[in-house]
Amino acid sequence: MRSIIVMMSIAIGLFAGMAVLSLYKGMMKSRIATVVNAEIGHIQIHDTDFKKDYEPRFFIKNANTVLHEIQKIPEIKAIALRSITTGMLITPTGSAGVKINGIIPAQENGVSQLKLKIKKGKGFSEKKKNEVFIGKKLADKMKLKPGSKLVLTFTDTAGEIVSGAFRIAAIYQSDNAPLDERNVYVKIADLNELLGLTDQFHEIAIIIQDDKYLASVKKKLQQHLPQYQVDSWIDISPEMDLMVKTTDQYSYIIIVIIMIALAFGIINTMLMAILERTREIGMMIALGTSRIRVFMLILFETFFLTAAGTPIGIFLAWGIISYFNKRGLDLSGMGKEMMSSFGFNTLVYPEFPGEKLFGILVIVVSTAIISCLFPAARALKLKPADALRR
Amino acid sequence: MTNGKAIIDAHNISKIYNADTIPVYAVNNVHLHIEEGEFTALVGPSGSGKTTLLNLIGGLDKADAGNIYINNIDITKLSAGKLIDFRLKNIGFVFQSFNLIPVLTAKENVEFIMLLQGAGKTERLQRVQQLFKEIGLEDKLNSRPAELSGGQQQRVAVARALASKPRFVLADEPTANLDSKSAANLLDIMEMLNKEEKITFLFSTHDQRVIQRARRVVTLVDGAVAEDTSNTMMNGKL
Ligand SMILES: Nc1ncnc2c1ncn2[C@@H]1O[C@H](COP(=O)(O)OP(=O)(O)OP(=O)(O)O)[C@@H](O)[C@H]1O
Ligand SMILES: [Mg+2]
Repeated sequence: MRSIIVMMSIAIGLFAGMAVLSLYKGMMKSRIATVVNAEIGHIQIHDTDFKKDYEPRFFIKNANTVLHEIQKIPEIKAIALRSITTGMLITPTGSAGVKINGIIPAQENGVSQLKLKIKKGKGFSEKKKNEVFIGKKLADKMKLKPGSKLVLTFTDTAGEIVSGAFRIAAIYQSDNAPLDERNVYVKIADLNELLGLTDQFHEIAIIIQDDKYLASVKKKLQQHLPQYQVDSWIDISPEMDLMVKTTDQYSYIIIVIIMIALAFGIINTMLMAILERTREIGMMIALGTSRIRVFMLILFETFFLTAAGTPIGIFLAWGIISYFNKRGLDLSGMGKEMMSSFGFNTLVYPEFPGEKLFGILVIVVSTAIISCLFPAARALKLKPADALRR
Repeated sequence: MTNGKAIIDAHNISKIYNADTIPVYAVNNVHLHIEEGEFTALVGPSGSGKTTLLNLIGGLDKADAGNIYINNIDITKLSAGKLIDFRLKNIGFVFQSFNLIPVLTAKENVEFIMLLQGAGKTERLQRVQQLFKEIGLEDKLNSRPAELSGGQQQRVAVARALASKPRFVLADEPTANLDSKSAANLLDIMEMLNKEEKITFLFSTHDQRVIQRARRVVTLVDGAVAEDTSNTMMNGKL
């Protein structure tokens, strides 16, 4: 009975550790997927001066050469051309600083999936001019809805202040609320007209066939387009990379906490087991079992229980994680607002942390062994005469 | 009785519990001399110190005063580690109850002691066969303690006590939990081992029928030897 408890605590400890890691891994993967597929794309190309101040005059020159180079790389799946500027969004009730993205709607669907994020409104229509998408958070703040009018003000390529009246065609929402608040989307032709551009653009967002080509594609582009700035999503969003790494550390802290709980569980059950078997252990010592042997027996017992509990834990973890990996685990109970303000989707697809399996195993097994040392030491102090009187 | 070889020679041994509060003289200045081949009962009212004295002689407890020679070795001078080893090689123990390790079979319980001694497999097997034959439980080798009756368990305990081929066995109320038939049966086995293998037995008991079968009876009262008689007459009849 006791052995089953110890075995189960080891299994559950292992499972809990794996569950935490799988959850983190799933969250990180989905976050990266969001960053790549809905925000940044894998790679972006700009004029080398553009990102300093987002000045509209630093558009991509020799666009045809650039596009030609891109077409030569087979790993590239989709691209989106954007012209970009920063400015003010003004309504009768207030104003806000925004980044204005001039886009080609058909291209965006393959890169940032803008269409899928529409919460209200019909989206861009072919014929109408000066339509705009704004994020839900901004819309709520400024009390705007589809059909509302607003004015966008910014400087053109010549440095003159220009403004245009736009009508809201859609309100969109992504998993990243801060980004939603800052970005508005208009059609590239409308923006270029105001900026004083024609067919030019400032940004090329690229989606590649698979994450694994990221470094090689970036390198190729950089070689062929030395006069442009080629960035991968890691360069653009270094905080994302940092977050992945710190979460890794946090997950280990959580594992340590779980292991401390596990250790107390094992110490407790093993102490009880020894208390229960005081007579038995006392008798073994009385009959001539050396204390080292008694110690080893208890150690071996724990070791075998660990060995028995481990596959159960791994199997449990694997089963449950695979289930939720397919179905998705809804964490909206934890607060949709909170998750989205950090840019996380509330539907997490936990992933089995295979590469960390060995590490967790080592931690769990050593926790179990270390936590049985104390009860084992207690057993050694038993005086056979006292133990036998029980 | 005085010309035989001494197995136990206890001089002036005392054991005092709670020395700093209300002292209990559990064993008070006892002399005890036991020779090879004896079959001796230790009797006395409850609390008279029988268990304590057996524990002292068996090296399970430390005496507060006196010397105890077992096979001419003063066990009060042995270190804890040496004492455990000494017990393993020289003394067989049978306790009142819960003698056996519940997770091991009867055979394993006996083998266990020989394993501790480092006996080889064939040697262990032979010894186990022989011992189980002597206790009449050849068919119960692979039973677990829970599947044996109290009497059978005590017989296995006797077999285990003899596994390491000690010259004498200490038994604290070995029949206390047995019905009279099982008790008689256990005594038969002990007597047989005493006669045929010259194993010395020192056992405590309350049971009048068991006392009758002892050849010598040492009576304790309040931790001291009150009476020491030989039942030679009785022995002659058997
Ligand atoms: N660990 C202990 N601490 C304090 N006193 C003890 C301890 N063990 C035994 N005693 C006391 O020592 C005395 C002798 O006890 P012991 O168990 O040796 O008697 P006994 O003759 O075996 O009795 P019984 O026939 O009931 O088994 C008793 O008064 C008992 O209360
Ligand atoms: Mg007693």
